[in-house]
Amino acid sequence: MNAADLLRDVIRVPPLAADTLLAAVRAVAQGPLQQQVQGIDQEGHYPRAVLQQLAQLGAMSAHLDAPAGPGSYGLAIQAMAEVSRVCGATGFMMWCQAVCGLYMQQSGNPALMHEALLRHVSGAGLGGTALSNPMKSYAQIESLLLKATPVAGGYLVNGTLPWVSNLGADHYFGAIAAVMEGDAPAGREVMFLLRCDAPGVTLRECPSFSAMEGTGTYGVRLKDHFIGAGEIMADPAKPTIARIRAAFVMLQCGMAVGITQGAIDSMWAVEPQLGHVNQFLEDRPDTLQAELDELTARVMRLADTPFDTSTEFFIDVLDARAHGAELCLRAAQSALMHQGARGYLMSSGVQRRVRESHFVAIVTPAIKHLRKEIARLSAGELPA
Amino acid sequence: MSAPVTAPAPAPWQQYICRACGYVYNEADGDPDGGLAPGTRFCDIPDDWACALCGVTKLDFDLCAGPDPAARSTCSGAPGAPTPRSQPGVVIVGGGRAGWQMAETLRARDPALPITLVTACNGDVYDKPMLSVAMARQLAPATLARETGEQAARRLNVHLLARTHALRICTATRQLRTTRGTLRYRQLVLAHGAAPSLPPQLPPSMCWHVNHLDTYLKLRAALGSQPRRVLVVGAGLVGSELANDLALGGHQLTLLDVASRPLASCLDEAASSALLKAWESLPLQFVGGVKVAGITRGAAGYRVSTECGQVFDADQVIAATGLITPSRLAQTAALAWRNGIAVDAATLATSQQDVHALGDCITINGQSSRFIEPIARQAKTIAAQIVCGAPVAYEHRTPLLRVKTTSLPFTLA
Repeated sequence: MNAADLLRDVIRVPPLAADTLLAAVRAVAQGPLQQQVQGIDQEGHYPRAVLQQLAQLGAMSAHLDAPAGPGSYGLAIQAMAEVSRVCGATGFMMWCQAVCGLYMQQSGNPALMHEALLRHVSGAGLGGTALSNPMKSYAQIESLLLKATPVAGGYLVNGTLPWVSNLGADHYFGAIAAVMEGDAPAGREVMFLLRCDAPGVTLRECPSFSAMEGTGTYGVRLKDHFIGAGEIMADPAKPTIARIRAAFVMLQCGMAVGITQGAIDSMWAVEPQLGHVNQFLEDRPDTLQAELDELTARVMRLADTPFDTSTEFFIDVLDARAHGAELCLRAAQSALMHQGARGYLMSSGVQRRVRESHFVAIVTPAIKHLRKEIARLSAGELPA
Repeated sequence: MSAPVTAPAPAPWQQYICRACGYVYNEADGDPDGGLAPGTRFCDIPDDWACALCGVTKLDFDLCAGPDPAARSTCSGAPGAPTPRSQPGVVIVGGGRAGWQMAETLRARDPALPITLVTACNGDVYDKPMLSVAMARQLAPATLARETGEQAARRLNVHLLARTHALRICTATRQLRTTRGTLRYRQLVLAHGAAPSLPPQLPPSMCWHVNHLDTYLKLRAALGSQPRRVLVVGAGLVGSELANDLALGGHQLTLLDVASRPLASCLDEAASSALLKAWESLPLQFVGGVKVAGITRGAAGYRVSTECGQVFDADQVIAATGLITPSRLAQTAALAWRNGIAVDAATLATSQQDVHALGDCITINGQSSRFIEPIARQAKTIAAQIVCGAPVAYEHRTPLLRVKTTSLPFTLA
């Protein structure tokens, strides 16, 4: 692939209309992606070509503002849902790529906003996000793992991130480090783009996960890794995080909506043969669909104002994300009950979806993190 | 790596936990796959060793105490007896007077009805008027709760979800989403009250409000045992009683209001004058006709400035600037709203079947009535509907109002 040609294409071709885009995404998901799902889930196959195809359709940049008009978070979430309906792992990588683009666009750093962002949008550049630890740090759940020591022209960053997804040798991701003053934290953080092939960066294979093995997930170790003007996204990081946190969490709803829909699809698939016994189960497909439709409508309303920074709005977003994870767990579980032994085959998407739903429930922000953060935000402020 | 496995250990083996993934390094076991023989002390692990699970280095490990067997019986975050959540009964939101009154009234009518009470606080049972009175009488804060939430829950056989925030009512599925999971309900009763409404000039980070035992206890702790300079903004019922009682408690009080006299909305001019006269014997200065412009924090406490240029210094600032009903839950259930949850004057019905409301969060004809007296009658009306007894009509009446400015009390009809 010639990256320069790709850039020209991206600039020239106007974005697809929403319906056209979703139809094209559906075709990719149910075509080439469907063929690779088992390899992605079990064998560590990283679906690079599919991701690049989705990028070129605009599926992972629909939320970004472009010369043609403002971004649509609703469309980005729907596209992610279409893919997650077939393969949760690929839906997750779409989220990684989408939020990495969000960081770049929001950085205000010319070095990350022009050519680099166009490469990213086109899929020539692929990237992820290591904000799981910082998000938990801001929610007072854990401390920051990366430390940045100021040096001339930038920082030296040290530390280890346990698992970061959608990575490869030539990938990159957004990260946050605590700025140090000597041995003590200076009380602020710096956000930056970390390139996997830069000096001082080592990728480390992770142990096997129970699902979603092809997500390009690595441990990342930094030893005196230099970041300067070309990498810095926000310094200090907190104002940027406050601005993008709702958008960051909201986009994940695409995974939950898609996996839930996939589970409901598989219940309907056996209804003609097994409806006579499945009628005795709770969480039947029609009731789950009604709950999913209500949740989707709620997410679409939230997606109209992704940069609303009010606490009440963020609580709504966190609760929608939690509801998505809970519904996803119930739907995947019930789908297995509906399908019975055929869904329990290792080759069946039904049991795979159970494991994908577990991922939606535990990936940051996990259900328990969401509830803790909502409780923290709901407690009124008092004088110190 | 040659740690002696057979030699007696000089100190017990320690365990260290990875902050990133939770992997526990046990010195006794070592990490043979990672090149650490059994018996390798944590301090002897080389700096380039990596967590067996996630790859971070030893710098990201903490000493791990190991599980405490005694903690098993109390690991649940929410106090109260575990009750199966799948049994939909009555769910009450709010652990103040209205919430407990509702539980009490329902239990009296039906001993078997499953009742769950969800509250953001710990659910302790107390009388709100006592919060102010306790200042004047210098009562120990610990004596204010008549019964703990857990005791009340046991007595009434109620499943109490304390320190739990109710987030969303899903009327289609009859579910209440909370920060401790989702509850199914047959009937839902909202008794979550109203919250202090602070104007933007008085940010909550610098200004107390006293509408709840939790906050009250923190204010008492901040005041300590010495006399303090306390500034109260708002000379309505709450602000006047509080300033009166704090002054009786020995504190130096400044009471501000936009009106030119205290209790201007419920007393006539002569009565206000009489009250001011009575306050002359207390360390209480009333300053009327002023609007707060801002507040700053300095080394010596807070400084409150008014739009007309006056400046007041204080150790603590309390806002008594009114209440507002939180609209989150009502909005999620699309409940009719008029300055609060709009309910029918006779039946107290909200606009949604099976969702009831009482207490400080409701309005009748757009008017709230935030007093204790109506609550028990409201609970009776709602309980009759829930347990399908003979209807009990609610009679809306203006409560007899006792202004407990103890220096000069008033009774208003």
